[in-house]
Amino acid sequence: MIRVLPYLLYLLLIAMHEVIWRDLTALYFVALNLPAMIVVIVAIYKSESTVAWFGFLAGLVLAATRPETMGWHALFLAALGVGVHHIREKLNLESIYSKLLLIVGAVLVHNIISVLINGTDRFFYLLWVYCLPSAAYTTVAAWVFFLFKEGKITSQKLKSVF
Amino acid sequence: MSQITSLFPKDWRNLHFTLIVFFSLLLVIGVPGINQIASRAIVNTLYYPFFRLKYLMVQVGTTSAENSLLTQKLVEANAKISVLEEASRENERLRSILGFDPPAGYSLLPAKVISVSYGGHRPVAAVINKGARDSVAIDEAVINQQGLIGRIKEVMIEYSVVQLLTDPANRVAARISETREMGIVKYQSGKGLMLDNFPVQGTIQEGDLIVSSGLGGVYVAGLLVGNVQSVVRQPDEPFCEITLRPAASFSSVEEVFVLRSVTQ
Repeated sequence: MIRVLPYLLYLLLIAMHEVIWRDLTALYFVALNLPAMIVVIVAIYKSESTVAWFGFLAGLVLAATRPETMGWHALFLAALGVGVHHIREKLNLESIYSKLLLIVGAVLVHNIISVLINGTDRFFYLLWVYCLPSAAYTTVAAWVFFLFKEGKITSQKLKSVF
Repeated sequence: MSQITSLFPKDWRNLHFTLIVFFSLLLVIGVPGINQIASRAIVNTLYYPFFRLKYLMVQVGTTSAENSLLTQKLVEANAKISVLEEASRENERLRSILGFDPPAGYSLLPAKVISVSYGGHRPVAAVINKGARDSVAIDEAVINQQGLIGRIKEVMIEYSVVQLLTDPANRVAARISETREMGIVKYQSGKGLMLDNFPVQGTIQEGDLIVSSGLGGVYVAGLLVGNVQSVVRQPDEPFCEITLRPAASFSSVEEVFVLRSVTQ
């Protein structure tokens, strides 16, 4: 049970983001795609089955307020997670920048698929004003996360700066 | 690739994928009610605490905005009340003026005091909003419903300067209303409004009304100046020292009338 706890916390984090943070952290309507970012990070560090189930559940949580699209979101996030995991295994990513490249690609694909799932007649407009900026914004957030995770930024370094 | 990797045995891989695809397809094709059940379960467990939190945040923000709005409205309401109270006071003053008739042969030109000049702590002159354009002339008496205020000292096109009774340079020929005995009303610094040149043999007592006598040609006879506040008779002095209580309140004068002869 205790091994499942972090994933439950991630799911809570996704729910919290959808309800509270999404609007607060949005820059000119460009929101952070935290669910996709978390799924990709899980895909980088965890096993294929784990990321498949986590992606499935993250998709359910992400689309919980839109029941008609839940299945598509769940299936697609699971597939995205598995896909990212395979790329990561084949390329054996080590540097932060290669991980970020993977994240920007995955988040962009997720944004595009989300726009298609939700249905729109202004796809190319949304691609420019939402999908690409959101992927870039999410990648910046992921970059900060990796800097902390890999010890490039520590509380001691922060203290020494200020 | 840690402990979580061992969450699922590796040989169950295909089973996991099959289950995931199966559940996803169930949701995609929308087996009756399953989407709603899943949605409701997730919303009630994961979303609900954050909905509550967001509701509280919005409520705090709304309360704060509402508080600012109400504070602003309170200030506006207070300002309105203040204006209405002022209008009410003005209304009362004007009502009392309505029953105020000028002496026979004279008319009243209403005017508003727009500025008061002080000599030390007391007002000595006032500027009114009527001038040569309204045919105001020098030495015309200025009164209000309480009594005599002063006289026109200077006239400009749209304004006039009134020399108040509290100006020591102002003099009013007056008499005691009851006994008709006469004296000169003037203001003395440190003593107030005095009735001067009144002989010790004269009959006067506290509370007697003092009115203008009409002598001297400036003030019309019968304008109320004030009443006697105190009378002091010194044994070796030929005149009494009589202090008056002015009829008009000079520190709060606002609406006045210029008293004009009808023949003008």
